[in-house]
Amino acid sequence: MSTQRILAAGAYVPADRLEAETVRRALGRFDAPGISQVAVPDPDEDTLTMAVEAGIRALETAPIDTETVERLAFATTTPPMDEEDPTPRLVSMLGLESGLETSVHTASTLAGCRALEAALDRSGTALVVASDVPRGAPDTAIEHAAGAGAVAFVCSDVGGHDETRVAGEGAQVLERSTVTSPYPGTRFRRRGEHDTTGLGITAYDRQAFTETVGEALGALAFDFESRPPDATAIQAPDGKRPYRAASAAGIDSASLEGCVTVHDVGDTGAASALLSLAVALENDAETIVLAGYGSGAVATAMVLENTGVTTSLDVGADDEPLRYEEALRRRGTLSSGEPDGGGAYVSIPTWRRSIPQRHRLEVGVCPDCSGLTFPPEGACDECDSLVTFTLEELSRTGTVEAVTTIEQGGAPPEFVDQQARGGAYRSAIVGFDGPGGETVSIPTQVIGALEIGDRVETRIRRLYDQEGVIRYGCKVARVPRS
Amino acid sequence: MTSAYVVGAGQTPFGAFPDASYRSLFRDAYEAALESADGDLSSSDVDEAVIGTLGVGGRQLGLSGPAVTEHVGLSGVPCSRIENACAAGGFAVRQAVQAVQSGMADLVVAGGFEVMTDMSGDLTKYWLGVSGETEWERLTGTTFAGVYAQMASAYMNRYDVDTEPFSRVAVKNHDNGAANPDAHLGFPCSLEDAEGGPAVADPLTLYHCCPTSDGAAVVLVASEAFLEGYDGPAVRVRGVGAASDTVGLADRDTYTGIPASERAANTAYEMADMTPDDVDFGEVHDCFAIAELLAYEDLGFCGRGEAPRLLEAGETDLDGSLPVNPSGGLKSKGHPIGATGTGQVVEVFKQLTGRAGERQVSNAATALTHNVGGSGGAAVVHLFERGAGV
Repeated sequence: MSTQRILAAGAYVPADRLEAETVRRALGRFDAPGISQVAVPDPDEDTLTMAVEAGIRALETAPIDTETVERLAFATTTPPMDEEDPTPRLVSMLGLESGLETSVHTASTLAGCRALEAALDRSGTALVVASDVPRGAPDTAIEHAAGAGAVAFVCSDVGGHDETRVAGEGAQVLERSTVTSPYPGTRFRRRGEHDTTGLGITAYDRQAFTETVGEALGALAFDFESRPPDATAIQAPDGKRPYRAASAAGIDSASLEGCVTVHDVGDTGAASALLSLAVALENDAETIVLAGYGSGAVATAMVLENTGVTTSLDVGADDEPLRYEEALRRRGTLSSGEPDGGGAYVSIPTWRRSIPQRHRLEVGVCPDCSGLTFPPEGACDECDSLVTFTLEELSRTGTVEAVTTIEQGGAPPEFVDQQARGGAYRSAIVGFDGPGGETVSIPTQVIGALEIGDRVETRIRRLYDQEGVIRYGCKVARVPRS
Repeated sequence: MTSAYVVGAGQTPFGAFPDASYRSLFRDAYEAALESADGDLSSSDVDEAVIGTLGVGGRQLGLSGPAVTEHVGLSGVPCSRIENACAAGGFAVRQAVQAVQSGMADLVVAGGFEVMTDMSGDLTKYWLGVSGETEWERLTGTTFAGVYAQMASAYMNRYDVDTEPFSRVAVKNHDNGAANPDAHLGFPCSLEDAEGGPAVADPLTLYHCCPTSDGAAVVLVASEAFLEGYDGPAVRVRGVGAASDTVGLADRDTYTGIPASERAANTAYEMADMTPDDVDFGEVHDCFAIAELLAYEDLGFCGRGEAPRLLEAGETDLDGSLPVNPSGGLKSKGHPIGATGTGQVVEVFKQLTGRAGERQVSNAATALTHNVGGSGGAAVVHLFERGAGV
């Protein structure tokens, strides 16, 4: 077995929740058993932006230097684009080295566990990120269960900069098994479609899940009766199936209760089992069983021994749950997309040149006067000299200098759909902290509420789509993080 | 250097005119300008034409100057188009003055036009949006309303004022516009209307924002030599100042002033050997109510932070010590982008030749116009005095 260990875990779940009771009142039914509420992302969030949130948390808490990360494995069943590798942008957004090796894992909810396996099977330091936001038709069990969230792990077998802390610590896989069994039709999405669906044959679906996961757990050379796990993290398409599968494998359901997330977050697809694993690690569970499942059907099970993993999990909920119509607006059900007019044209080559500024606030330092120029092109903003800048990154924190709330009628066409889905939004000028105590003022959109003088930090979000290409960049939210 | 004079100026009403084209609007304004010269001018006198337009709608982005001058029979006359966003018209006037002062022309047509109401509101916002900083500022989800609202928020924060001064701008300019038959929104509004209007970009309400309009305005700028043997009215251009600045607001050192306006004003005052105290009335760029407050301070009408007091005291009312925007301004008269700056000079010509009717400023001998492009990426200021034949 590999000496690879999980050293750190980060997680991010959007704070807004839609309660099961709200759906039941609106539709007269709620078809996701065992779920009390689900996480709902903002209109400008997707699996890539959530991956950044989880990844940043894992990297910040990990006892390693970011530049030592050699591999990135990204898992999701709902990538932002059907075809186009998201990892180059994820690498840039996370500030990782551009030469690292990346892989994308998708096609079923097992993708998260497969990404973790890929990291654990190779030597070196890797970042594993699973992020998902399943979607179904509004009147389906899949949609009622659908949540959103991302989880990330830093894995390494080479130690970190904090040798005393790293030595002997981490979570290591003791046993692992995989089982496949052909079960078509339980959960699938046709090419080009947004909604995941299934044939809805309850007994068949349940059997596919319970049998495959149960066999994977049973294949582990591990006696659950004599050595019951402290925590069991199982794929959770709803709030009942993980318990059924565990029970079938002879695992006490009590070991699920401390780390199961589906009740309050919903089905997080490829991130589901790993999100529970992250919670188990945060709870310092020593022996952890992990079981992932993907429709088709395929299941992977692992036993991990945990001697200490640093964690940074942001999975809490806002106090005020969403109304049903708010959730529908977020989903885009009540709006018709971008209106006529379109955006100011920024060509993709032009956009690409600005990516270091969009993702990481790269600024130019004038060799003549040391003044800072953003973006780092043209004459120096301070002394007007035409120079060749040296490049540095601004701090991702700053102070609000001016702010407005863009109400109905005030949004340019490319932001009308965002406004229709998320309501009025704020736009601000923020003085970002630069080297030498200088600040650089940059216009940016705002997540949530804030006022002049507030301290803020950046978040990567979708800005807008143009020519079918999603443009991502920094927005800001008030600190501390929620 | 020869002096330059405005010897004629005319405009169409500003508003929404689905039956008019940009060319027919320009023709109406051109004919009104010729008529204002009391019949002493004809197209054969014109040496040069400078036309301001943003090109909203993209209907004739190339050669949009000759497209309107040939329509009024000025084919063969050198013509160029000026594009400086909302300051296009003001810069067209400046270019005309320069042509006269250089000695290259004796009579220049400075025109402006825009058609903005024959498309959806979203398309209009597209065209307005591409006049601002498109790669960063706009991609935070702002149009000009949002950018000026950010300036308003900074102003309120710095000087600890509320939105009432913005609403006073709206009330004053609507009152003036109600007496202007060419005004797009020629009706009065109350302080309560303005304060309680629908929010567009907080803290700005609908009444704090100018409309988008159709319209054209033409100014005829002549040399001293031309005035020999000319018996019509003439208004002397005493001073011209212009400046540019960063297109994006965030790149500036201040959000509570428009540095380009201040520089342009100082240049114009110096050229005219005038001070703000010498100005009898002003037509200033009030695209959003906050812009008029900033203009008072940038143009030296009052000190920094004192604009709200000036408004509250009624100093800039039509019967105040320094009337501002007797035409109704952009807020009430309207804002057909390319025609706005030339339209301001039309108002000055009417006022200084005693033709402003109900909104006539008493005993006005001097005037100032102030035209801003975008949120301050360009600004131009002109100073005028009543001249020969008046």
